[in-house]
Amino acid sequence: MPTMHRIVVDAMGGDHAPDAIVQGAAEASLALSSAEIILVGDAAVLGRLLPKMRHDGARVRVHHASQYVEMDEKPAEALAAKPEASIVVAADLVARGEGDALVSAGNTGASVLACARRWTLLEGVRRAALAAVFPTELRRGEKDDPFSLILDVGATVDVTAEDLVGFAVMGSAYAKLVSSNRRPRVALLSNGTEAGKGPKEVVAAHAALVETTELNFIGNIEGLDIPRGVADVVVTSGFVGNVVLKMLEGVSETVVRLARYAHKERLAWRLGLLALSSAIDQLKSITDWQQYGGAPLLGFTHPFIKAHGRSNARAVTNAIKVAHKALAGNLCGNIARTMAELDERAQRKPTGSGATEG
Amino acid sequence: MAGRRKSLLRRVTSIPIGLGERIGLLDHVPPGLAEGAPPPKHVFRWDLDKTYLRTEFDSLKDLYKSAVETAADKHAFPGATALLRALKQPGHRICIVSGSPTQMRQVLAAKLALDGIYWDEFVLKNNLKNILKGRFRALRAQIPYKLPAMLQSRIGATAEAETLFGDDAEADAIIYCLYADIVAGRVSLQDLERVLVASRAYEDDTARILDLARRVPKGNAVRRMFIHLDRRSPPLGFRRFGPRLVPVFNYFQAALVLYQDKVLSARQVIFVALEMLDSKQYELGHLATSVQDVIRRGRITRDVALQLTAEATEAATSGALSGRTDLPPFDQIAESFRTRVRELGNVEPVPFDPDEPLDYVRLVDEEHDQRRTRRKQGHG
Repeated sequence: MPTMHRIVVDAMGGDHAPDAIVQGAAEASLALSSAEIILVGDAAVLGRLLPKMRHDGARVRVHHASQYVEMDEKPAEALAAKPEASIVVAADLVARGEGDALVSAGNTGASVLACARRWTLLEGVRRAALAAVFPTELRRGEKDDPFSLILDVGATVDVTAEDLVGFAVMGSAYAKLVSSNRRPRVALLSNGTEAGKGPKEVVAAHAALVETTELNFIGNIEGLDIPRGVADVVVTSGFVGNVVLKMLEGVSETVVRLARYAHKERLAWRLGLLALSSAIDQLKSITDWQQYGGAPLLGFTHPFIKAHGRSNARAVTNAIKVAHKALAGNLCGNIARTMAELDERAQRKPTGSGATEG
Repeated sequence: MAGRRKSLLRRVTSIPIGLGERIGLLDHVPPGLAEGAPPPKHVFRWDLDKTYLRTEFDSLKDLYKSAVETAADKHAFPGATALLRALKQPGHRICIVSGSPTQMRQVLAAKLALDGIYWDEFVLKNNLKNILKGRFRALRAQIPYKLPAMLQSRIGATAEAETLFGDDAEADAIIYCLYADIVAGRVSLQDLERVLVASRAYEDDTARILDLARRVPKGNAVRRMFIHLDRRSPPLGFRRFGPRLVPVFNYFQAALVLYQDKVLSARQVIFVALEMLDSKQYELGHLATSVQDVIRRGRITRDVALQLTAEATEAATSGALSGRTDLPPFDQIAESFRTRVRELGNVEPVPFDPDEPLDYVRLVDEEHDQRRTRRKQGHG
């Protein structure tokens, strides 16, 4: 029997929690024979929901938590006021070694904060990074993955060059495993492709990354290269990443709104959209974020997969599968090993060259 | 010499019956109790496919595979063999009623023998006879086949207690509850006739079943029914059958309930657990989670789980786990079980609604609809 992976799921977090979360976990219990799923939340509610669904009763268990954080609550205040919140109990279980990975579709800030307060960083990693996936023109890896990874999108606002190098290592390890992409193309997000462009930490990170052999670093890219899919892993600070992510989301929402407007406005436009509908459906299926499940918080000794707040059961199942894949593929171990190799190389270098501080 | 002749004679006389059954002309009549033998205290009725044996017949390929595989190729569900062995105690009777065709008697009997299972009755479905007589409706029908087989068996050997084991692939839950209610005298012959009409039974079968129902010794005998969730059907769907019917994900859960019913000892529950661990399909964590699941569904109480843990610890220290160097110390195992119980907090399971008579005609109609839907979806 393969090693059993215990995946802790915050059952109360998400717009459609707990129903969609429990449904997703139930489906994952049937799909993953080497996983045990621990649903954290109100045991009375979860105990009523689970028997309604097809699942494996030997592979899903419930851990009671009497409180939960709402999606719109302020993270620090919510965690202070609710010490028994499901996300806190879930993060605790992993920290105590009673679980191996965490999945949550709940309040992002509260989830990240709960992990950051309880979990330890991997050796060599200075800061954690929250990643997000974005659909691109180009596909990648053995599975023709249509998503690129952007990190950090908010966990670490101010970064140093070393932090950016760490993000590059973590993002590459994740893309390698989850997208089955043997040599993911890693790029730094900047305001120009030239090595000297950008703030000093980006310039210094560039100088350090070109020296690495462990990563497939392709240099700097600009914002417009993200949707094109020029890079598989886009590395940036939490501040910039968050702005970029929200702008990209805003643009796609605007496109949808404009299409709706066109649909109402003129018959010719409506017919045009109708003619395009099968192509749009195809595009939707390619870029369906629910198939991806979630995005990881990287840098800790345990994987945390943050599923979208709007996750339905399918997205939750896929997020659990991603967590399982991260455990089975020893994602954290791989990151730690690469970080150690980079550190060793830096130690061996004569003083004065290859400094990563701008 | 006389003994050899007698055994030869027995062999020769047994050929026509075996052959007759095999070519679909004769039915195998299960032997009742020997003359003067005391009645059994407890009868355990088991289905085979998807209950005891891991069988797939969702496609023609599966059916073919199931028909041609040898006894050694067939696999019992983890824990089922240990449970059946534990149930074979003095005064207990094991009766097997399976929907498999009579032509498979030899291979199925060989499989049970390989597993060390001793049975008292073994009834299979004479589908060839149904084909030869053009009774095609009877090929798939479960109620008109299983119900009379069980009633006949009870008439032949009446026990004060019965426990039934089936699965969620077909209509076992309905058949078992109907049988339990007929035996308990809760179903009138008129109502039974309506159910048989709904289940598309042939007229002669209906008449035979009504006659058996009239003659069967009455009593509140069926104490427990287990439905093995082979299809992983949602357990809630079985709640309407009341607390006497327990859907189980695995045989450790069945053993836990039987421990609560005082049918099995803690030591016997351990043997079921060990067989499951040896199958490599379950780890200790799965067993602990299985305990939590039956508590959450209100099928056993926390007190029973904790009492079992204490008794199992005693049994383990008195040799039930001797030679098992692959397991952690039992104190550790017991603690992981207690932790699973504690994880539920103080939340109590949802209580069962008061028993209401089941509307079997509606249940049969629903089952037909579900089967049709499954067939449309290509799930057999």
